Amino acid sequence: MDQHHHLFDVGGAHVARLEDLRLIKGEGCYAADWKLPNQAHAAFLRADRAHAKIVSVNTEAARKAKGVLGVYTGTDAFSAGYVKPLSMLTFAGKDGMKARIPDRVVLAHGRVRFVGETVAMVVAETALQAQDAAELIEVEYEELPVVVAPESALADGAPQLHDNVPGNLAFEQEAGDAAAVAAAFAKAAHVTKLKLDCTRVAPSPMEPRACLVGYDAGSGAYTIHVPVQGINMMRMQIATYTGVPDDKLIIKARDVGGGFGQRSIAYTEYVALMIAAKALNRPVKWVATRSEAFMSDSHGRANYITAELALDKDGTFLAMKLDWIADLGAYLHPAGPVSPMRNPVTCLNGVYKTPALFGRWRVALTNTVPVSAYRGAARPEIAYTIERLVDESAAQMNIDPAELRRRNFIPPQAFPYKTPTGSVYDIADFPGVLAKALKLADVAGFAKRRADSEKRGLLRGQGMATVIENSGAGMFPKDEIRLEVAADGNITAYSVSHSQGQGHETTFAQIIGDGLGIPAERIKLRQGIAEQGLIGNHTGGSRTIVGAGTVCSIAAKKLIEHATPLAAEQMGVEPSQVTYANGVFQSTESERKITLGELAAKKPLTVTGEGKFGSTFPNGCHIAEVEIDPQTGVTDVVSYVTVDDCGTVINHTIVEGQMHGAVAQGWGQIFGENIVYDPETGQLLTGSFADYPMPKAGWIRDITIADHTTFGTISPLGVKGMGESGCTASLGALANAVMNALRPLGVPPLDMPLTAHKLWQAIAAAKKGH
Amino acid sequence: MAKITLTVNGEKRSAEVEDRTLLANFLRDTLNLTGTHVGCDTSQCGACTVHVDGRAVKSCTMLAAQADGADVLTIEGLAKNGKLHPAQAAFTECHALQCGFCTPGMIMTTAALLKDHPQPTDDEIVHGLEGNLCRCTGYLNIIKAVKRAAELQGK
Repeated sequence: MDQHHHLFDVGGAHVARLEDLRLIKGEGCYAADWKLPNQAHAAFLRADRAHAKIVSVNTEAARKAKGVLGVYTGTDAFSAGYVKPLSMLTFAGKDGMKARIPDRVVLAHGRVRFVGETVAMVVAETALQAQDAAELIEVEYEELPVVVAPESALADGAPQLHDNVPGNLAFEQEAGDAAAVAAAFAKAAHVTKLKLDCTRVAPSPMEPRACLVGYDAGSGAYTIHVPVQGINMMRMQIATYTGVPDDKLIIKARDVGGGFGQRSIAYTEYVALMIAAKALNRPVKWVATRSEAFMSDSHGRANYITAELALDKDGTFLAMKLDWIADLGAYLHPAGPVSPMRNPVTCLNGVYKTPALFGRWRVALTNTVPVSAYRGAARPEIAYTIERLVDESAAQMNIDPAELRRRNFIPPQAFPYKTPTGSVYDIADFPGVLAKALKLADVAGFAKRRADSEKRGLLRGQGMATVIENSGAGMFPKDEIRLEVAADGNITAYSVSHSQGQGHETTFAQIIGDGLGIPAERIKLRQGIAEQGLIGNHTGGSRTIVGAGTVCSIAAKKLIEHATPLAAEQMGVEPSQVTYANGVFQSTESERKITLGELAAKKPLTVTGEGKFGSTFPNGCHIAEVEIDPQTGVTDVVSYVTVDDCGTVINHTIVEGQMHGAVAQGWGQIFGENIVYDPETGQLLTGSFADYPMPKAGWIRDITIADHTTFGTISPLGVKGMGESGCTASLGALANAVMNALRPLGVPPLDMPLTAHKLWQAIAAAKKGH
Repeated sequence: MAKITLTVNGEKRSAEVEDRTLLANFLRDTLNLTGTHVGCDTSQCGACTVHVDGRAVKSCTMLAAQADGADVLTIEGLAKNGKLHPAQAAFTECHALQCGFCTPGMIMTTAALLKDHPQPTDDEIVHGLEGNLCRCTGYLNIIKAVKRAAELQGK
């Protein structure tokens, strides 16, 4: 790769984000900001019980209410045929098992299976009228027994959610070598076993979902304004759900207020709005409240893992085995079960040369909100599992946790490294990453700091996580970027990989600008323009810089190649006599020059770059230090260090911002965020920001961030991706730090969320000798 | 229905509103000032923060009718004569926004915070941002931006 590409903003040059100006002036355009002439408004009536037969739905009063244009129920949705969502769980499981995919009528038909399920839709002239009328709908239910815990759902005699999902088991798979693992455990000097709950959380991007659907009776086309991570992913899912062909589905989005996986789904509300828009021949708009968001946006994580690590007497890892239950909620979101079935297998050995691995995975259905990807999509869960095992093993065997890691790292000279489950890690330097983190975190000075804390009556702990995750590969056949040169020399770039805050308008412009030798400010990125018809992945799985980002560079090169003969023609010379630099073609034989803009003024100048990429593996080490007040159980994170290898860094400011946000989300999950259902009734007990503790300003005062780069070999830019690594590493680092603080008291391993209440109780119990 | 007259971003505006109309919805739906965002329905997130008679107010906690006669400033009116407010300039300079959805509320809160505390301490900043949620940034750059805004304002 070109040496000058190594670090785009090396030397501290700061590129201000090109998308910021409109956003700081209140000129962004989010989903609820769209308006269409003559638009009507929808409200949804949602199930207020977790599992019940629908005996009757009386809509008479609602239909007569002021301003009401239409009321739609499961009967309408069923007769429209909007019954079968897309499933990406198409691979075979244990003994060739095929996934059992339940139907999901977009308005519940015959039965409701979780609190918040869409039961009826009212459309009226105003949003308030629709809401008022929805309250007039009378639903008679016959209650059914409820199951909210996935282990209970898989047990004999559990309430059954779907006829085609016996035992509530939607899928089961195994991976690895069971015999090799059994043999290794048989000769192990030490076995560490942990039961680890990766709790259910609410992704909670700050922009509530919203959708505005227009219908053109002449062409039969729907225009759907909706928050997305990519328009193609949304279109594919809606097309599958409705049978409406791709070319009749025009997905539109501009600014998207956060994503974290939650935006990658065609929700039932979006599809139901299509029924009304067509029936009324008017645009219909719906804006979710936050209360609706908690009970209908996809939840995340919800993986429950029993894990065992076998070691020899020197601490060499011999084998690991897992029994993994993924709670997917009442129905399967398109990619929901794919994340916990695939990503943990891809990185099952983590950063270690553990020779034997085996796992069993089961997908359970419960009377809860359906679960899907949340920042990391089971990468944090497998990393958390491994790193908790490693730290517990270090403590139990009295080996320094960094030393135990070093003994088991895949060595730098082993790359590309084929893992026991068949992944190929392209390149990394785990000992180098660890060494840098140990230094930045002043691990050598920890004992003294711990003693100082003790003098102040506080329990100090330090924890680390050394992790790896897969990024890059996508489900669409390729990623495309189109470049269009205007007569003034400015360039419009088109992409379907949509930013939800990641700053693509800046980083893509930097890459294209670098390729063409022109300032980033002269390149305007337009995302999600359906009319361009581009192929490409959505933004998810930390892949966009590897896919669309790399293609920005390819497209820039292609533009120069494409334009060189055109420039030669204009200048009356041979293409071989033309050089290009900084937006200008120049003849080597004469004084003649022509700029990109001048060339574009003669005739349209457009190219489409493309590329397809496999997996690459960002990795890193995070070290957290905490102080716990035993009087209150409150944990203060007093230091947090990240050293990451995300390959080439395009824009350090943006990379650091991603790290801040992802670590905050990890902190949120470890110390408080937790979706709770009442086990008897299936009622959601954490249905608002009053009950669900989002991280707030002041959760930490600073994070020390550094990179330790090896250049990825999958992208010619050397990039690896980094949007999720902060979540992947922080769960383990923070939990290990807390356990490190509490272990001397005899506190046994605790599960997230490590709330003050839980820690206080654990400390109190330990002091009593329980 | 209530007839209200108020000043919004320096302009007199009159309208008939339903009694239950929230100020946030009035600004967004009636006046089409969509820079004020609504991120929750329990007054926790602060995305809808505006200034009413010079004080930061979550516009989802107030009826439009209660703002009758008031002077309301929204994010659209914060920049004066084409010049960004120090809070706006500081937010972009410090990369204190990612998706941008919470940003108008954060900036309006910051602008009000700096009136009370022209040189805020870390604790005053953290306390001042207590009512504003952000899911993207982890707040570190927002805190930096508030400090930077104080510097810019002092210049």
